[in-house]
Formats: sequence, structure tokens, C-alpha cells
Amino acid sequence: MADLVDSMLDLMRRLPPTRTEENVAALIGICPDYADDLLGSVDQPLQLKTDRATGRDYLACDYNRDGESFRSPWSNEYDPPLEDGTIPTPKLRKLEITANEAFDTYREMYYEGGVSSVYLWDLEDGGFAGVVLLKKTMTPSTPYEPSGSWDSIHVFETAERGRQAHYKLTSTVMLQLVTRKGSEGENTEAEKKQDSHRVGRKNADGWRREGEVSLSGSMTRQTEQDWPIQDGSSHITNTGKMIEEMEIKMRNLLQEVYFGKTRDIVYDLRSIDDLEKSRRQKELQKELVGFIKR
Amino acid sequence: MDATEQIQTASSFLLQSPPGEINDVLNDIRNIISDDDLLQEGILPALKEYNITQFMTVDVPGTDHQSIVSEAARVSNSGTEERFLDPRSKTSYVFDHLGLEASDPQTVEPDADSEPFRQALEMSTLTYLAAHFHEGVSSVFSTVDTPNRFVIQVVANKYNPKNFWSGRWRSEYIVDLNENQISGKILLNVHYYEQGNVQLTTMHDVSITLPSAIVTSSPTASASKILALIEDEEGKYQSSLNETYHEMGEKTFKGLRRALPLTRQKLDWDKVLGYKLGAELSASKGIFGNS
Repeated sequence: MADLVDSMLDLMRRLPPTRTEENVAALIGICPDYADDLLGSVDQPLQLKTDRATGRDYLACDYNRDGESFRSPWSNEYDPPLEDGTIPTPKLRKLEITANEAFDTYREMYYEGGVSSVYLWDLEDGGFAGVVLLKKTMTPSTPYEPSGSWDSIHVFETAERGRQAHYKLTSTVMLQLVTRKGSEGENTEAEKKQDSHRVGRKNADGWRREGEVSLSGSMTRQTEQDWPIQDGSSHITNTGKMIEEMEIKMRNLLQEVYFGKTRDIVYDLRSIDDLEKSRRQKELQKELVGFIKR
Repeated sequence: MDATEQIQTASSFLLQSPPGEINDVLNDIRNIISDDDLLQEGILPALKEYNITQFMTVDVPGTDHQSIVSEAARVSNSGTEERFLDPRSKTSYVFDHLGLEASDPQTVEPDADSEPFRQALEMSTLTYLAAHFHEGVSSVFSTVDTPNRFVIQVVANKYNPKNFWSGRWRSEYIVDLNENQISGKILLNVHYYEQGNVQLTTMHDVSITLPSAIVTSSPTASASKILALIEDEEGKYQSSLNETYHEMGEKTFKGLRRALPLTRQKLDWDKVLGYKLGAELSASKGIFGNS
């Protein structure tokens, strides 16, 4: 019998990414004992929270959760408040503050909006680990405008070895794109006015159309690298460079899979060109070649 | 979670299965719930629903073609036993929803009034299928309750687990000669899961009023014109998907995250930290420096 957690992860890799939260909750319902394994290994869309002390938005995930409360990177406070919530040591908290500022600049440069949060925690072997979160959502102002969301989760671990540090980075990007189309959306304003007193609307070719295209999912990649360190802040420049490089790579990858691969598969199912015609043309060509050879 | 809730959850998972992956999903569920007796009893309705809504294809005994298992294929007056119809070979059969096999074929006498037009539609549909689908299956049904009303169904599947992808195209058109109307839908599902899980899901509902010239022609002429309309619309839809892809790439994808910052250069991380430090310094100068 395969490992239970493996089966759960395999299942999550197959079921629709748009329903991850609902399906994770259902799995926890069946196997409550595996809740931590599941929450720790299945990435879910990041939740947006507002820091009560500073009014700034931050991102919530399993890494800044303690019980039912989430810690804000801006005020270091838990919401709902916790008396003995886990917080980083003062030294690490100082680094966390600087990291949050640095990745906030990174967010502005690449996302021109959205929200970022960085959380750090000490490891038992002396090193530390962290997560860099970025999220941007585009909400349409009309039903036929495209909508979408991007969630980045970069988890890293680091161990210092003299003047070098070793980094292990696991990055997941969740991307969702939705476009709704309808005959009404295709028509110009003038046509709409002309049409408005008729019952129903249709296009010039007589068809009425209404539809939705949704592309959603997540991809995960890992890398391990060594970088030189001078002081504590070197960890921020090092992970910064690694995460920037990784996001550039993953953005290309997502572009290839979302707009290339899935489109190719559609064309593997159906051909716009007449297949019979091209089959006949090939036959004819073969005959001609045979004729010339003779 | 009690047995009923477990079955409900298992059924919900099964119904969400991507094309060609229901057995993988079922294996995962068996491992997670580890109560085969309970599952065997409980999940049959979900398997049935999945097969019928996903246009499962089946080899029809005694023929060399496949037929579609769907709501339109269900034989209504078969008593307690559930039977499906392959109108092309005029055969009804019992379908095993777990093993996906047909058995007990029986000849069915078609309705004499609707059969000529149904056959004409079937011929045109098969021609259309061969012209545009790599491995498609189609079935054309006449509806028992409403005369002059037909259902055209098309399904095409490609499963490529070795390369971690699968895809399904489904379309259905209801041709109603009483209302002079075709209404239909095209549904697409694509799953790509190499080091990830990416799914394309589309819905496209269409309808058109048939010109009276089409309805009053001979069955053969009329059917070929109806399929020409469908061919045109499905081709347009496939092309429009390209535009949607382009739009999503240009507007949404770029709007969410830039390929590079406005400066067209990667960040200078030493400066990012230094910049922050500088901003703090100048901020403190603002307080103390002007005194």
C-alpha cells in the first residue's frame, strides 16, 4: 500500500486547482491526523489580512499561523491576539524587518501593486529558514473584462559554512486567469443601442454566444545554491537574487505551459484545417512522386 | 467523518477527475479511505454520473465503431435495467460503469418517421468528425418524446500520462426542427501536470435560428447544411480561443507581474538595502537636519 500522504498529494495534483481549499478541507475531514502533513505540503491561495496596528495589508499562510491566529510582519502582532504566540528571536526579527522592506521594493518593481510578506524562523541546527510571499489580484470592473491572480510562495532554508552560506529554495507560483466572452461583449456600443429594443442579441452571423475560459494552476521548482556572506544582511541580497532569478524562470515556464502547452493539446484534439483534405493532398503527392520516379 | 460523508467526499473527488484520470483518482481514494466494501457500494452513482456527463465512449458489441454513453443515449422504457442505445447500429446494450464495457446487445427498431433525418445527420456528423477531429467519436440521437428533435454529440480524448497531460473536447447540439433552432455547447478540459497542476476549463454556449430554407430541404441537403453551420461555429470558436489566449497573455499575465522592472534591469540588491538605509537617513535628516 502506497503511503497515505503520497496518495493525498497525488490526488491534489489531479483535482482542479480552483477547488484546492475545499478539497484540502475535505481530505482533513477524512484523515484529521494528517492535517499538519497536508497543510504543510499543499500550497493554498494566500489570504489577505490587514494589520490592526499599522493598517497595512499582509499575507497569511501556514508559516505565520499559530493556532487560529496569524502574525503580521509589520507589527509582529498576532491576530486574533496571542499571549504566547511564536515570534522570531530579536536578532532574527531585525533581519525579518529589513527583508520585508527589501521585498516590498522588489514587489513594487515587478508587480506594481499587490502585497508582500516575509516570515523568518530559527532552525534547531543553528541556521534559519524563511518564506517570501507575494500576491497580486486583478479584479474586473465589468463582467467581460479578464480577471486573474498571482500567488508566489518561496520557502528557503539556509546554513552558514564559514564565509559561505548554503541555500535550499522551493518556489511555487499559483496563477489563475479567467476571461468571459459573450455576444453582448463583442458588440459595439452603437450595435447595442440598435439591438436594445429587440429580444435577445446575436452576432452578424446569426449565432448567440456566451462562454468562459479559465486557466488555473500551480507549478513548483527547487534549487540549491552557495553564496558568500559578509554579514546578516547578505542573506537578504542572496535570497533576493535567488528568488528574483527563480521568478523570472517560472514566469517563462508558466507562459510556456499556460499559453503554449494547453493550446497545443486543444489542437491535438481538434484541427481547424480540414484533415481529410490534407490527407487527400498527401495521397496525391505520393502518387505524383511515384509517377515522376517511374 | 461517518460512512455517508466519506462516500459524499469520494464522489465529489471522482466527479472532479480530469480527462482519462478517473482510475488514478479512484486509486488514491481507495488508499485514503481504505474501505473497499464501503466504496464499491457507495461510489457507483458518482461513476455513473461521471460517465454520462463526460460522454464516455464504448465499443459497441458486434460493430467496429464506438458510441457515446450519455443522457441522450439512455433507453427510457427498458424497465428496471439501465440500457443505452447506439443508434448507428440500432443496438441497445447494458453498460458497466466501473469496467466501462458494454454487454447484452439487443436490436432496437428505430422510429420510422425520424430515422431518415437522424441518419442524414449521422452521415454528415461522421464526415465532419473525420475532417476535424484526430480521434473523435460521435453519436446522433432522435428524441423519443419530441418528434423532429435530434441530439448531436461529439467527444474527442487524448490521454498522455507519460508526458503528464490529457485533454477532452465535448460538444452537443440540439437540433429542433419544430422551433427551427440549434442550441449547443462546447466544453474543453485540459490537464497538464508535470511538476505542477495546470488546468484549462472552457464553456461555450451557442444558439442559432435556422433559415427556413434549411428546414424545408431534403434530409440529406438539410443535414449537410446544419453540419456546415456547426463546422463553421466550432472553427470560429477554436480561432477565438487563440485571441483569448493572446489577450490573457498581453493584458492579465503582464498586468499581474512584469517580465522585468520598468528599468529593464534586474534589481541591484545591494542598492535595494542601501536605498532603504538611505531613505531612512534622509528621513532622519528631515527631522534633525533643518534645525
